[in-house]
Amino acid sequence: MKEIKFNVNGKTHKLNIKEDERLVDTLRNRLGLTGVKEGCSEGECGACTVIMDGETVTSCTVLTFQAKDSEIITIEGINGENKIHPIQKAFLDEGAVQCGFCTPGMILSAKVLLDKNPEPTREEARKAISGNLCRCTGYNKIVDAIIKASKYLKREGN
Amino acid sequence: MNLEVYNPKNTEEVLDLLNSYKRDAKLIAGGTDLVLDLREKKIKPKAIIDISNLDELKYIKKDDNYIEIGACTTFTDIEKSEILTDNLKGLKKAASEVGSPQIRNRGTIGGNICNASPAADIVPPLLSLDATVVIKSKENIREVSLEKIFLNKGKIDIKEDEMVSSVKFKNIKGKLGFYKLGLRKALAISKIATAIYIEKEDNICKEIRIGNGALGRHGLRERKVEDYLINKEINEAIIEASATLLSGEIEKRLKGRSSLEFKKEAVKGTFKKAFKDAL
Ligand SMILES: Cc1cc2nc3c(=O)[nH]c(=O)nc-3n(C[C@H](O)[C@H](O)[C@H](O)COP(=O)(O)OP(=O)(O)OC[C@H]3O[C@@H](n4cnc5c(N)ncnc54)[C@H](O)[C@@H]3O)c2cc1C
Ligand code: FES
Ligand code: FES
Repeated sequence: MKEIKFNVNGKTHKLNIKEDERLVDTLRNRLGLTGVKEGCSEGECGACTVIMDGETVTSCTVLTFQAKDSEIITIEGINGENKIHPIQKAFLDEGAVQCGFCTPGMILSAKVLLDKNPEPTREEARKAISGNLCRCTGYNKIVDAIIKASKYLKREGN
Repeated sequence: MNLEVYNPKNTEEVLDLLNSYKRDAKLIAGGTDLVLDLREKKIKPKAIIDISNLDELKYIKKDDNYIEIGACTTFTDIEKSEILTDNLKGLKKAASEVGSPQIRNRGTIGGNICNASPAADIVPPLLSLDATVVIKSKENIREVSLEKIFLNKGKIDIKEDEMVSSVKFKNIKGKLGFYKLGLRKALAISKIATAIYIEKEDNICKEIRIGNGALGRHGLRERKVEDYLINKEINEAIIEASATLLSGEIEKRLKGRSSLEFKKEAVKGTFKKAFKDAL
């Protein structure tokens, strides 16, 4: 076992992990953050996407010990509290969620995009979610939702 | 199993660890290749040494002669770099077309080279830049031409106590073009990638280097085609003739492989597109 300390959703955790444990396993099994989905297990589908030090990563291709001292945000922590985030609201309003399996990863990819680029074009939105596969929606509604989210966020003034 | 993992604080500590573990240790940078290999039990190291957090291996710098890129520089860093100017856009393009945003955020130039996949996307542009790899061990630093480092599919010529610390190439006068043919838009291990560096004078090709990926056991230079093009005037007919020559080379090289029929045709297209990208 190896002890590591890192910050997840604003809280510092000290955990004993297996040496070859993947970040997706730590987040789901040790911290109960089951909004982190595991689809392909090989970096292809983006269901396990989390934000690590401000950038999206697929948590199935990161070993947890590498995340030492880092800051991680999962879908559970996107708003800091139990409130719904404007991006989540936009996804609901646009009907961008069907089975929902891809949604946490999509929203986190959208968040990093909007943090850096508050008024993305549709093309930029598509590029930002190009590592998140969705079997249900055909992507158009997800792009609609990201554009709508940019307006919600602007209205909120952040 | 008895696996130990380490978070060294600098290169020196990495090299000490490599020196004591020798071949029982594996470095991990972005992990985008290694974590999958580990899970599939293709590798069973006794120690894994994390270098992904070493800022001293993440840089792109330029002096009067050289541009140097640290081994742990990610594809995202390369894509966004302002030091890499427009004439080097082929390198940025190659980085920007790797996998997905998530993979580009983690995957590194050093990992791409050391994993030595025939389809490693950053390799063709670096071959066309005639890049040199800087390799360190506890006792030694050496520099090797990237072209000479590949031994076979998945195998490069570095010793068990060595690591790649950077890649460098001479500042260029001409232009680097790149084109990749992938199967899927966002997530495709390239099936063919071609990078071409051209320096021309009055439309005469004065210097040319062609790097190909996924057309052999590892990335390689296309010297026959380079020799053909040197000192020729650049025009449609010459580009067409070079594409045909390259196709013939590929036919010899991939003889007996199922991909041959497709690749010997497709390479003409990727070659022409990369060529025009370099003009
Ligand atoms: C979904 C997905 C899509 C992908 N798409 C592409 C693509 O389009 N194009 C492409 O080229 N690749 C692609 N890859 C492969 C991979 O992302 C790249 O090869 C990447 O550059 C590997 O870098 P890394 O830092 O993640 O390497 P790691 O996985 O950390 O390491 C790879 C190997 O290199 C060794 N190593 C790493 N750094 C060093 C060093 N400095 N010195 C010595 N040895 C070292 C490690 O020990 C290991 O053996 C993809 C991978 C995935 C999962
Ligand atoms: S589960 Fe990690 S990318 Fe698919
Ligand atoms: S909503 Fe089902 S996978 Fe995207």
